[in-house]
Amino acid sequence: MEPLQPLQNFLPQVWFFILGLFLFLYVLLDGFDLGVGILSLTASSEERRSILMTSLGNVWDANETWLILMGGSLFGAFPLAYATILNALYIPAVIMVVGLILRAVSFEFRENADNKLVWNIAFGVGSFLAALGQGFALGSVFEGITVDADGHFAGGVWDWLTWRSVIVSLTLIQAYVLVGSTYLILKTSGELQATHYKTATIATWTTLAGAVFITVSTPLLSDNARELLFSVPMVYIFGTIPVLGVLLVFLLLRSLKRREENTPIIWTFLLFSLSFIGLGFIIFPNIIPPSVTIYQAAASPSSLVFMLTFIGFLIPIVLAYNVYNYIVFRGKVIGATYE
Amino acid sequence: MTEFLADTTTLSRIQFAITAIFHMLWPVLTTGMAIYLIIIEGLWLKTRNLDYYRHARFWSRLYVLNFGIGVASGLPMAFQFGLNWAPFSESVGDFFGTVLGFEGTMAFMLEASFLGIMLFGWERVPPIIHFISTILVAVGANLSTFWILAANSWLQTPAGGEFVNGKFVVQDYFQAIANPFMVNSFLHMFFATLETSLFVIGGISAWYVLNKRHAEFFSKSLKVVLAVAILIAPLQIFVGHLSAEQVYHHQPAKLAAMEAQWETVPAGQPAAWSLVALPNDRAERNEWELKIPGALSYLLELKPTLDQPVRGLKSWQPENRPHMVGLIYYSFRIMVAIGLFLAALMTVSAIQWVRGKLAAEVITQQTWLMRAWVFAAPLGYLAVETGWIVRCVGRQPWLVYGELRTLDAASKLPAGEVLFSLTGLTIMYVIFLGAALYFGGRIIRKGPNLELQAPLVGNQPKLGLELAQHAPDQRPAEARQ
Repeated sequence: MEPLQPLQNFLPQVWFFILGLFLFLYVLLDGFDLGVGILSLTASSEERRSILMTSLGNVWDANETWLILMGGSLFGAFPLAYATILNALYIPAVIMVVGLILRAVSFEFRENADNKLVWNIAFGVGSFLAALGQGFALGSVFEGITVDADGHFAGGVWDWLTWRSVIVSLTLIQAYVLVGSTYLILKTSGELQATHYKTATIATWTTLAGAVFITVSTPLLSDNARELLFSVPMVYIFGTIPVLGVLLVFLLLRSLKRREENTPIIWTFLLFSLSFIGLGFIIFPNIIPPSVTIYQAAASPSSLVFMLTFIGFLIPIVLAYNVYNYIVFRGKVIGATYE
Repeated sequence: MTEFLADTTTLSRIQFAITAIFHMLWPVLTTGMAIYLIIIEGLWLKTRNLDYYRHARFWSRLYVLNFGIGVASGLPMAFQFGLNWAPFSESVGDFFGTVLGFEGTMAFMLEASFLGIMLFGWERVPPIIHFISTILVAVGANLSTFWILAANSWLQTPAGGEFVNGKFVVQDYFQAIANPFMVNSFLHMFFATLETSLFVIGGISAWYVLNKRHAEFFSKSLKVVLAVAILIAPLQIFVGHLSAEQVYHHQPAKLAAMEAQWETVPAGQPAAWSLVALPNDRAERNEWELKIPGALSYLLELKPTLDQPVRGLKSWQPENRPHMVGLIYYSFRIMVAIGLFLAALMTVSAIQWVRGKLAAEVITQQTWLMRAWVFAAPLGYLAVETGWIVRCVGRQPWLVYGELRTLDAASKLPAGEVLFSLTGLTIMYVIFLGAALYFGGRIIRKGPNLELQAPLVGNQPKLGLELAQHAPDQRPAEARQ
């Protein structure tokens, strides 16, 4: 087995990275999708809401699919983590799934309904629930998942619900609202765009407040995280992240103030990337925080290689046609159509 | 009676059954309809007859409604393995998870990404790119069928490795994917989705003809459907027969349940085929039965007497054989009867077509034939559902046939948690089914837009050149997708 050792370390790392990529794309893309959904609750007229919905029409399916990709790949690459995490997060996962179902069907039913009110509300509430469930899942990552010696879930039904996970969840919702707002700035014009400059600014501040709380509380409340954060060389990385974060928030607020159209979403995407990298460093090499590593939870090397051969080969292709989709539908939305 | 409310495994099984039964209703239609949309768009590009373009636009409205609900109702399926069947996920994740990962990346993403262009891209991309997008949507949908059926077939005939300490170790992935059940199962399902969609499209077309609404327009779609169904309906019966033979060889206990056969028929004897019966699980016999002597021997081996014995249910210990024999027995018969009925309907329609009775001017006179098509519209769904009941209830008590019991594969969750999700999902699914039927009915009643003109590609202004105020949509309601 000795010559295989580097491979056995390397493959789980590759898959950790791929899953991270899928999750990141999901959070970014369905993030703006869910954000627009939550914002649709605030839309003042049916016409405005139509524009919001139209801006999502061609992308929401594909955006949501990143989650399915993530789920499927986690199942294949780290079966233990898939089983344990979903067991631990049963209720948040169900809330998320129910939310995603609600919003997806409301989206289609709304198109055909005369009385759109019910489906409008269901769409907004569904988006909110999906984000809420995901927020609690993220909160549990910070809290940690209680497992026994075999890595099976050994905690309680309500472990995911703590005052800290509530704050994490609210922060994630704010972040989705932020990226949703910047997406709408890009896709709309006139009064509607003006509204979303406002929502973007508010969401920037609320997200920042949540982020500061998470950044400060993580080392204070978690022993593992403290050890990791203050060890060399990690301390430099973790020191840099907040500095860059503040810089990006400054750039974002400035672009919003200057009424720039394309840059707010770029700064927001960079902020998401930065938080994501920070999160990745805190979790790695675990896959079920705080104790089960990717090496313990990984599928057999042959499985990982087999999956990598096909999925790895497809990732660039999948990315390419997703980009193509965005290019085809670039430009502003006017009424219930594209300009 | 209420004991099951405290039994997590039973609740998880009910939840899986309900999510699967509801979810199935939508992809079954979209997977087959995607192929129909290729044909109709191909006809439009070839003939430049605007009617075909209008057909493509009209049916894609039903397509998107079904696709959206299909995605939504499928989400619990994707997560349920981990949520409710964690020991299963862990035990067979190396293979089963890999296949589901493939389904997501290869198949589902393809379908979801090109769907946007297929639905909204008529005015934005050149016709050939649009046509390719339609093809890719169909390829994605059918690749999904392939991977899901590969995974499910593996549960029926696990191959390509072995169980070591309760964990499945894969030795040969290709062998595991190409397990003994895979080819016929995929083909059977592929034809099932196509056949279901064809008869839904045909049934709706016939409904318009019956009501003398756009009879000429819909005689076109009916003929396209008929042309494809002539190939599919008999093939499906043939593949179905091969599938039953496979069950006979690989899962004799399931075959015994499908036939409500309690006693073993030894080799060298003729076996009777049961036409109707009243199976009694507890008494281990049929209360009442109508049999055709010798027919089963012909069905299984094309011979008056059997080479292999047909084992009866009693030859297995009660804990090793499927329960709910009546459900399996009648599900199987319903599925077969529908398959035969659809083939017969197709044959009669083909004869009428050859006799010129389906020509646009006279088709409205075919009242009974059109009524039969309307009647046939929901039958494909029923056949698919009953078929899956035979397949998966018949596999019990095994989750992975002969290797992992359903009882050992369920998560040890508090029953209340599963009850919470089961209740929530069931209520939602019932509401959505009602809403889907309602809105589907509305699209149908409203009918196609026969004023729709050919798409003009590239007549839009470039992006972001002007800060337009949001102008109200002035296109006809049909065009607003």
